[in-house]
Amino acid sequence: MKKFDPDRPWDLTTLPTTMAPQGSRPHAPVEDQCFLGAEADIKQPPKLQEAVATIKNWFRASSLNVLAFGTGCGAIELRPLSTSRFDMSRFGIPGAPTPRQSNVFIISGYLSVKTLTRVIRCYEQMPDPKWVVALGSCTINGGMYWDSYNTIKVLDLYLPVDVYVSGCMPRPEALIAGFQYLMDDVKKGKANGWHHYLENLEWYRENQKQVITDWDLPNYNW
Amino acid sequence: MSVFDYTTQPGFDLISETPNAGTTVDPKEVQLWFGPQHPGITGNMSVQLWLEGDTIKRGITHVGYLHRGFEKLMERRKFIQSFPIVCRMCVAEPDTTEYLLASSLEELSGLDQAVPEKGQWLRTLVMEMSRLQVTLMVMGGQVGTMGMGTAPNWTYTLRDFLLDSFEELTGGRVYHMYITYGGVRRDLTPGFAQRLEATLDRIEERLPYLDDLILNSAVFQQRTQGVSVVPAEWADELGITGPVLRAMGVARDTRRDYPYLKYPELDFKVCTATGSDIYARTQVRRAEIAESIHIIRQILQMMPQEGPYCAKLPNMLTWTIPAGSTYVRAESSRGEMGFVMVTDGSDTIRRVHLRGPSYTNAVTILERMLPGMNIADLSATMVSLQTCPPEIER
Amino acid sequence: MFDINHGNLDDSPDVGQEIVRRIHDRFGDFPARFQKADLVRLDVPQKDIIPVLSWLRTETPFVQLTHLTAVDWLEDGQFELMYLVTAPDLMVSLHLCVRLDRAKAEAESVFNLWLQAETYEQEINEMFGIHFPGSPRQGVPFILEGWRDMPPMRRDFDTVAYCDRTHPVRPGREHQDSRVYVGRKFGEKGYLK
Repeated sequence: MKKFDPDRPWDLTTLPTTMAPQGSRPHAPVEDQCFLGAEADIKQPPKLQEAVATIKNWFRASSLNVLAFGTGCGAIELRPLSTSRFDMSRFGIPGAPTPRQSNVFIISGYLSVKTLTRVIRCYEQMPDPKWVVALGSCTINGGMYWDSYNTIKVLDLYLPVDVYVSGCMPRPEALIAGFQYLMDDVKKGKANGWHHYLENLEWYRENQKQVITDWDLPNYNW
Repeated sequence: MSVFDYTTQPGFDLISETPNAGTTVDPKEVQLWFGPQHPGITGNMSVQLWLEGDTIKRGITHVGYLHRGFEKLMERRKFIQSFPIVCRMCVAEPDTTEYLLASSLEELSGLDQAVPEKGQWLRTLVMEMSRLQVTLMVMGGQVGTMGMGTAPNWTYTLRDFLLDSFEELTGGRVYHMYITYGGVRRDLTPGFAQRLEATLDRIEERLPYLDDLILNSAVFQQRTQGVSVVPAEWADELGITGPVLRAMGVARDTRRDYPYLKYPELDFKVCTATGSDIYARTQVRRAEIAESIHIIRQILQMMPQEGPYCAKLPNMLTWTIPAGSTYVRAESSRGEMGFVMVTDGSDTIRRVHLRGPSYTNAVTILERMLPGMNIADLSATMVSLQTCPPEIER
Repeated sequence: MFDINHGNLDDSPDVGQEIVRRIHDRFGDFPARFQKADLVRLDVPQKDIIPVLSWLRTETPFVQLTHLTAVDWLEDGQFELMYLVTAPDLMVSLHLCVRLDRAKAEAESVFNLWLQAETYEQEINEMFGIHFPGSPRQGVPFILEGWRDMPPMRRDFDTVAYCDRTHPVRPGREHQDSRVYVGRKFGEKGYLK
């Protein structure tokens, strides 16, 4: 297992291959260990485990529900995407009005510090498993806002990102391609950002508290 | 029939113990945040509401979720580097802010006489196309807030064909960066006029069907007539411009009153309506779609085919502009947009300030309209005022 | 709007000239610059700005406050407030500019004349630190949240230094500041300041 490297937070392959003992993490039931492809401590033949995980991941990849939260300027391309020209629905991707009913969070562009607080709160309200798609150059390394005092520069210091879609702003076709990458990763059981977030919660919290001075978020409530 | 009495249920006494017990809070009053995460909000902003039942007692607008400090960033950059910044000030309608930046600095540097004829026509063309696509988008968004799905699907698709024209002309779907100092960046591609004409025909052909879905629909009339009336005495008090003002029956339009570019040579009328409610604002927008199509057709006919489209520019890396200040304005789809531009003789902007119509619409007008409004009308009201959060906080 | 001494403003051929002449007659000889057909700039001393604005608001067709903003003249030790007052029926705007002392950044509020000035004054208060006594939302955060530094639109606020201090960047990213790049490429000419 590769060790988690704080200088390379975007590297989500630094996951532990063995799970923590049962009971230490109340949020990770047995089926999620199958999803992660980990050696679960259950009495089932490995082939069956693998088959169950494959089927589950296939279901998950086919039911992506996008949270309706336009955090930045990329939100303007989400409306053509969801209407009849580009038609997101043909991939089985509808919008969802509340975080409790959604599992894909599109960070549509730069995040100001004020929005970051709301984004973290929405992200933590979403049920596991959940994925983050980040749009635009500004979420990758600040983009054209590299010297702006009010926007964060690297999104994956604060939230785990599963798919980056580059561009300023990305076209709807690029976003569709990003969704297909996400679906492939989910099918293979590789899109584990949400799990990474739980594993390294203290590190993420520390980064978040660095920029959010008025910290009033509760500790993680799953 | 017996009614279920929940007051006898266990745990009811806990409900009345609110966290604010001891403070003077009206027990019937509920505090609710509308946004920033809400499907009915326009963009990324929020309205804090105090409700009694479903009637709003009062509310405060909260903005600042999209603040990037553009005015500060433009003070650090060369003049030419400001173009990628200004078009992001208003996401839906980038060409107006591009024109404002170009014309304000041209005016201060004395370059404004050098803009060639064709450059001015092309600027007029993209600004009118931009107004048309935003008006289409808002028409769809307006009925979308009432739960009707067909009209948004149509208008967004029609808008998308216009975005294709933009892409052909400028290279970008949403952010164009097409207008530059001294003119525009590129000439028309061969056959562009015919393709744009076909798109306009397509939009025009669809308009009667949109009328049936929107303005003639009984549901839409019931939901909007007499709702969210902006009183006429606010017009001067709060500096209202654009469709919100024209829905009061006041025929003011920056394109006609403060003529700029090629608008004085074009034949168009200022669309007004009476009633000052959401329905009247939608009527104004519907009339403006037809009027914009009419204007764009005229531009395509009257534009010279040959000639330069951009003046000869100084070296952009070392260009300095003498000290001065000015205010330029242009009509966006929401009303008057203006730039206050101050230069100090160096190679950067000293101070720039965007005056946008959303600033008044979303904060001052909306907060004064909220008391007594039904919460179900709030989303439609915000769309009809055309609030654009990135323009408020920049 | 009929003025007993001067006649109707609407009838005069050049409204800009006429309104400046009336302001000069009434308040004093402020320097005026006729910039465009629809824009006149007037530099008004601080003690005269509120009388001029209230006269314009109540007794002339200049009834709209189109915008209100501030400029930081750090080298002069002054702030400049810019009021744009428009006569929508006559299609003329007046740009009234007032210099304030930067050390004592305080100006009188125009909230009593125009309701929408409350938002403009709130923003200037937050972004420049200019205080408007009597304006209802002074000190209430408008755009920023949890801001601990000096008001960000002041000239002495260094946004790059703030970013380096607060917002970490991805390792390996190089700053391509245009000013440095142009200076390297063109020598001293790029450093015009």
